[in-house]
Amino acid sequence: MKRILFYLLAICQLSLIAQTTISGKVTDKKGEPIMGANVYLDGTYDGASTDEKGMFSFTTSTKGQQTLIISFISFETFKKITDVKALRNLKIILREDVNTLDAVIINAGTLEAGDNAKVTALKPLDVVTTAGAMGDFVGALQTLPGTTTVADDGRLFVRGGDAEETQIFVDGLRVFTPYSPTAKNIPTRGRLSPFLFKGISFSTGGYSAEYGQALSSVLSLKSIDKPLEERTDLSFMTVGLGLGNTQIWKKNSLSLNASYINLAPYQAAFPDKNVWHKPYQGFGGEAVYRHQLKNDGLLKVYGALSYTDFDLTQEDINEPNGVRFALENRNLYINTSYKGFLAHNWSIETGVSFSNDKSDINIIDDLVEDTNNSAHFKVKLKKRINNRFKFILGSEYFITKFQENYIGKTNGNHKFTFNNNIVGYFAEADVFFSKKLAAKVGVRAERSELLNQFTLSPRLSLAYKTGKYAQMSLAYGQFYQNPKDAYLKFTTALKAENTSHAIANFQYVKDKQIFRAEAYYKKYNNLVKYNTFMPNPTANFSNEGSGYAKGLDVFWRDNRSFKNTDYWVSYSYLDSERDYKNYPTTATPSFASKHNASVVVKHFITNWKSQFGLSYNFASGRHYTNPNTNGFLNNKTKSYNAINASWAYLVSQQKILFVSVSNVLGIKNINGYQFSNQPNNNGVFESRAIVPSADRFFFVGFFWTISTDKNKNQLKNL
Amino acid sequence: MFNGELHLTNLKAIKFKQMKKIITLLALTFVVNLTAQTQYEKGMTNAFQLWGAKKNAEASQLFERIANAEKNNWLPYYYAATVEIVSCFGLQDEVVLTARLKKAKKFLDKANALSKDNPEITINYALLNTAYIAFDGQKYGMTLSQENAALYAEALKLAPNNPRVIFSKAEWDMGSARFFGQSIAPYCKDVKRAIELAKKETVPYKFYPRFQFDRAQQTLKNCAK
Repeated sequence: MKRILFYLLAICQLSLIAQTTISGKVTDKKGEPIMGANVYLDGTYDGASTDEKGMFSFTTSTKGQQTLIISFISFETFKKITDVKALRNLKIILREDVNTLDAVIINAGTLEAGDNAKVTALKPLDVVTTAGAMGDFVGALQTLPGTTTVADDGRLFVRGGDAEETQIFVDGLRVFTPYSPTAKNIPTRGRLSPFLFKGISFSTGGYSAEYGQALSSVLSLKSIDKPLEERTDLSFMTVGLGLGNTQIWKKNSLSLNASYINLAPYQAAFPDKNVWHKPYQGFGGEAVYRHQLKNDGLLKVYGALSYTDFDLTQEDINEPNGVRFALENRNLYINTSYKGFLAHNWSIETGVSFSNDKSDINIIDDLVEDTNNSAHFKVKLKKRINNRFKFILGSEYFITKFQENYIGKTNGNHKFTFNNNIVGYFAEADVFFSKKLAAKVGVRAERSELLNQFTLSPRLSLAYKTGKYAQMSLAYGQFYQNPKDAYLKFTTALKAENTSHAIANFQYVKDKQIFRAEAYYKKYNNLVKYNTFMPNPTANFSNEGSGYAKGLDVFWRDNRSFKNTDYWVSYSYLDSERDYKNYPTTATPSFASKHNASVVVKHFITNWKSQFGLSYNFASGRHYTNPNTNGFLNNKTKSYNAINASWAYLVSQQKILFVSVSNVLGIKNINGYQFSNQPNNNGVFESRAIVPSADRFFFVGFFWTISTDKNKNQLKNL
Repeated sequence: MFNGELHLTNLKAIKFKQMKKIITLLALTFVVNLTAQTQYEKGMTNAFQLWGAKKNAEASQLFERIANAEKNNWLPYYYAATVEIVSCFGLQDEVVLTARLKKAKKFLDKANALSKDNPEITINYALLNTAYIAFDGQKYGMTLSQENAALYAEALKLAPNNPRVIFSKAEWDMGSARFFGQSIAPYCKDVKRAIELAKKETVPYKFYPRFQFDRAQQTLKNCAK
């Protein structure tokens, strides 16, 4: 017994002797004390929190090499391995974590949608619940600053650029034919179903070196990685039917969507200004298969097949019987991507997209058959050195095979083909100097086989946090894009068109309120010019065109001031002139109206189980040429105005009724004027106003979800 | 380290070849182990006291330290996460909210790595999502509510009679019913069932998550209204 006591005492004493005091002070880099940091020796119970002076002190009975850990929210965890005896009167400076919400963001030019983004201009629901957007994600994006309303077209026109200057990517891979085909003066819709995406990044300029072949804008969509449950969705709409089903098994999932749109009943009830011989009908089928690999890699295969046809006669001032236009289009799009992790903080994203698009178009007596086969191969490697330094490296290859058969009654038969292959390389680094200052530096090299041209585009962005809620950013970049198919089919003796963007951005984000203002200057070089009425094989083509666009985009979103109400306001000022195509002089193109504004309001009334939406779009007058007066593109139409309304009613948690009306007030908008080719007897060129084929558009839909979880509904589908 | 010292003394003891001493030492080892055990218990008890006294930051930090000392025990990580998540409800600053919830997620991931397919952890992932949704339903609701539905389905599959799973799911269902302006009545029976099951439940080991009777009773009172 004595011995036991002896040993007990001995050990007690030993441990008493072995007590080491660990002490020090924790501050941030400015020397301000950090209170409440957790300081401890890894693997032991020995530790303490820092006091208001940042001081800590605790004892330990451990010896030798130990790991001291200091962790505090919003700072990088500090680790030090050393002998415990050395851990005395320490002065420790914690580094700020640059991955927090209040850290600076490199975002000049970019608007994000989706809940992974730090600052979201559009929320996931907005993409489909914006009044007037008609369930088209492109429609919702048109309420953001930097875009121009071109009501008769429907595609994205960004900062004085025409629609073909915007490229769309899904999971980093190009979508070659993102819009459904349509007739003149009837706005198109995006082909992609908005339900497939979890995030949208819309860049109106100064984008990453990862993206090329776009002069003005990049729209990058991220598809859903993992559907969470099996479900069936049914949609009954005034314009057609929809059916969707998702199956999940083990590490796999398969989603199938099918839709059939037929406007015949709608056009019978609400006749428009066109004479329809065969109303618009479209069939679309989509399938997405996702497989999660053992190493956490993800494989996605997306396939979409669509078929569209219609036949109509449209008014034309030069054709007393109107112009008959019939179209039959078949489109196949496949996008396969793989995302995986490699050793040493490397990760890889790779994939292939392929598109086959075939259109048969009848214009009066002529037949045009277009076939476009395109593919995009891409590999991107990402390396994360630490939170503050990351870089990407990548390579890609675009293949386009274009073929057109022209069977003309008077002009004879012609065949045009070309192969437009481009190889691209890119490298870019993201550097955070501190929580307040960050930079993105990149470069892109491209070689076009068709044009035998090599281009090098530097890209640079800087962002600096000026206050707790405010930041400033700057961006500069060079961008190249090969000329349009419409020119390349006649000549390949051309160079890539070029723009340079300079952007200055200010952003203020606080408590569900966002204010953003962005000024830019864009210079266009090497634009394609030709000397004929329409591009044709006999025209002289050159790269002598040029132009500029400058302006200011302002965005305000507020989800705080009014209960259950969310609203945003966008305003864009645009000053743009060009000398391109067959312009005799420098002028403002008809799509570039000076002032554009949108107001979108959403209000939820819980007792009525309803969401009401209202939106207003404004665009100042568009330029046109009046042959009865002197000058080119120097007349302006009246301004464009539209008020749209929508109502979503939750019949039950799984059944939703959605009603939407575009241009409720039926304001008569004018998109432009068409003039006769020859003057009449009085020497006057007669004119015809180009107006929308219908002033209002009504939409009623009933959406029903069947799933194991009865709380699920299609609210997001609205 | 205690074990290292003991090892040394053990060797010496063998040198002396005195059985008695070995026995004594064995006894000592036992005593030391007991103190190690109590250190864990003491630490946990202490942390719970801090939490009870609304000293959330201190409680979470202590749980974090215990977790780093007890590398194979999921409970301290689980509680470190729970304290952070619970303290996020009602926060107004999104910067603080996301920083805390990110930290909580790291703790949960570690707990999950130590104890796979644990329904208690699964429902805490759902609670973490709920904290985001409660902050901004429009921004986080769409994707995270889907995720939650999947998490609760998984938790119920793992433990169909776990009162915490049943109660947590009932609370979630009531929340979404309220959001859509519907009756919460259908879920009241789940709360009752959870209470009944909790009464019969035996705690598998010390500091295992407990059923919150007070809170469940409170929810039932809302049902009666």
